[in-house]
Amino acid sequence: MARFIRSVRDARGLYAALVWLALGYLLVFSAFPLVYNIVISLQTVDLFSLASFDRPFVGLQNYRDVLSDPVAGTVLWNTIRFVVLSLVFQLAIGFGLALFFQQDFPGATYLRGLFLAGWIMPALVVGAVWSWILAGDFGVLNYVLRTLGITERNIFWLSDPDVSLYSVIIANIWLGIPFNMILLSVGLAAIPRDIYEAAELDGAGAWQRFFTITLPLMRAPLGAVVSLGTIFTLQQFDLFAALTQGGPSNASNVAQYWSWQLSFQTYQISYGSVVSVLMIVFVVAVAAVYTRSTRHEQSY
Amino acid sequence: MRLKTCIHAVAGLLASTAIVSAQEVSLDLWTIDDPGEYHYVLAEEFMEKHPNIQINVRTVQFEDMVNDLARAVATGTGPDITYIDNPEVALFASRGLLMDLKPYIEKSEIVNEEDIYPGPLASVTWEGGIYGLPRGANTIALYYNADMYREAGLDPDNPPKTWDELYEAAKALTKPEENIYGIAFSAVATEEGTFQFLPWLQMTGGDYDNVATEGGARALNFWKRLLDERLASPDTLIRGQWDSTGTFNAGSAAMSISGPWELPRMSEEADFDYRAALLPVPEEGAERASALGEGDNVILASTDNPDEAFMFVEFLYEQMPRVWNEFGYLPASEVEVKDPQNPEIYAVFEESMKYARNRGPHPEWPRISQAIQQAIQTTLTGQAEAEDALATAQQKIDGVLGK
Repeated sequence: MARFIRSVRDARGLYAALVWLALGYLLVFSAFPLVYNIVISLQTVDLFSLASFDRPFVGLQNYRDVLSDPVAGTVLWNTIRFVVLSLVFQLAIGFGLALFFQQDFPGATYLRGLFLAGWIMPALVVGAVWSWILAGDFGVLNYVLRTLGITERNIFWLSDPDVSLYSVIIANIWLGIPFNMILLSVGLAAIPRDIYEAAELDGAGAWQRFFTITLPLMRAPLGAVVSLGTIFTLQQFDLFAALTQGGPSNASNVAQYWSWQLSFQTYQISYGSVVSVLMIVFVVAVAAVYTRSTRHEQSY
Repeated sequence: MRLKTCIHAVAGLLASTAIVSAQEVSLDLWTIDDPGEYHYVLAEEFMEKHPNIQINVRTVQFEDMVNDLARAVATGTGPDITYIDNPEVALFASRGLLMDLKPYIEKSEIVNEEDIYPGPLASVTWEGGIYGLPRGANTIALYYNADMYREAGLDPDNPPKTWDELYEAAKALTKPEENIYGIAFSAVATEEGTFQFLPWLQMTGGDYDNVATEGGARALNFWKRLLDERLASPDTLIRGQWDSTGTFNAGSAAMSISGPWELPRMSEEADFDYRAALLPVPEEGAERASALGEGDNVILASTDNPDEAFMFVEFLYEQMPRVWNEFGYLPASEVEVKDPQNPEIYAVFEESMKYARNRGPHPEWPRISQAIQQAIQTTLTGQAEAEDALATAQQKIDGVLGK
């Protein structure tokens, strides 16, 4: 007992205990569901056999079934567009705003705080608000566009198959900007002022300072924002549920929503698992790129 | 001394069993209702009549019911009695998870199989057994704004009877400059879309297992025409029935296809002369069909108290004459409703109930339904011709049916 207490006191035991705690947590809440999900994706599972492990093993047949579904191609292409466009615009606008609020002007910090408002709201509420804005017949956006004379007829943002995915993307960009802005602001604040001052004395212009100082020193925060942004974007479910339900005719359906539809609307739970396993593989790849890119990270 | 203890013990045992049998039988009931609605109200009334039976009511969200119930059954924590939506009964019955009520119904003096309308009866029937009793029913009809009819020079006493007349009326009633559509309905890619479309298909002789028909294509093309000519809003593709009829109540659509559940809100929001008519048929003299909604009270096979559970379900069934006025459902069996609210509209729905057909039954109904939804959506968005879309759907449905 005394030895145990001593080992906790001299930190070595404490560290071990903390490691085991974290490891145990990961095993129970991350590794187990992950492995279970993979197992399900290799079996024939329906609602009633969820509780038992004794289920027919079908190997990769589920994967073949899902990938040969004509919807799979649409969903894949939609998911790529959704993730890439969301990320690019969230990052560009978020970075722009972060740089803007980095300038010293009265009220900058308060204004920056206000931008967080969008992030505080649950995505389902954001979805409800955007569905009013984007509604076809009585939507705010159509009213504004028509009043300004930009469009003559109403655009059916949510029910036109050529537009609906972009409508969700617009809402998602809006939702993701505050997160990008705050994380990048923190990164910007960590860059010492004197580097800029020295560069300025040496005659570097604003663009030069941005490309030779800001961007290289922001590499780690940018990497973090991109990889976290990818994961958040792939998690975005509520907006689809609130705005288009993946429709019309799967025009705005993406992997995460399709997975849910398969599992909980048509009860093809193994198929739903297949989609989520494929998504996990992708996210692991993104995470690997991120860890590699920040391996040589230093602090200034 | 020893004998005395023995007698005491036996007497005590007897007394305790006597107490048990006169005392509480406890039944768990799952429902989609909130307190103050059907199951809560009637459970109270039942407990007053039968003080020895305790009913524990629990609310489950409508969209979670199948998932929660399946999980509960798998882990042995299911309720004794539950509400299940019509098309889902087969899913549970086919796995032997529900109690066959047929032997009980044959002995019952209250439930008479012949009184139940064919649609609701089909929804609880599976391979010769009867696995539930409908708590009520609903169906759809054509609501119309009689004031707009008069303005457009149409006769409000003579609503459209055929598809052609419906098209003409919708055309006459549409006013794009005022943002008024001729008709509102729902082609959304959920069960509601299937619910709205099936009657159109059935009127032409098709059904859920036979969709790739000329009539099916005709029905789909009719819907497409309404959308293409903007007689109905393009948002019809993503709006459920409740939201579609909301636009009717607001005066932005002159007609709406929906069910009796709209009436409480309509009486508050619609400040015009609204009426209802039977769903128009493809041509005069064609077969009628209508959708069948609402759900059933079922007893789980795992219940410990089947007799008491049936007593309760039987009691619920007995209240059928009250469901229209008090809970807003149509009676699912032949009963006399005294002083119905909205008498003219009630008469239309009551008539419509005779043509209401069940969806399925099939244990994998959601997959069949999804194939139909996809056919509707790909056709209406112009991604496929109606014939091709229905052929694709037929292929999927045949796969589910194992043909």
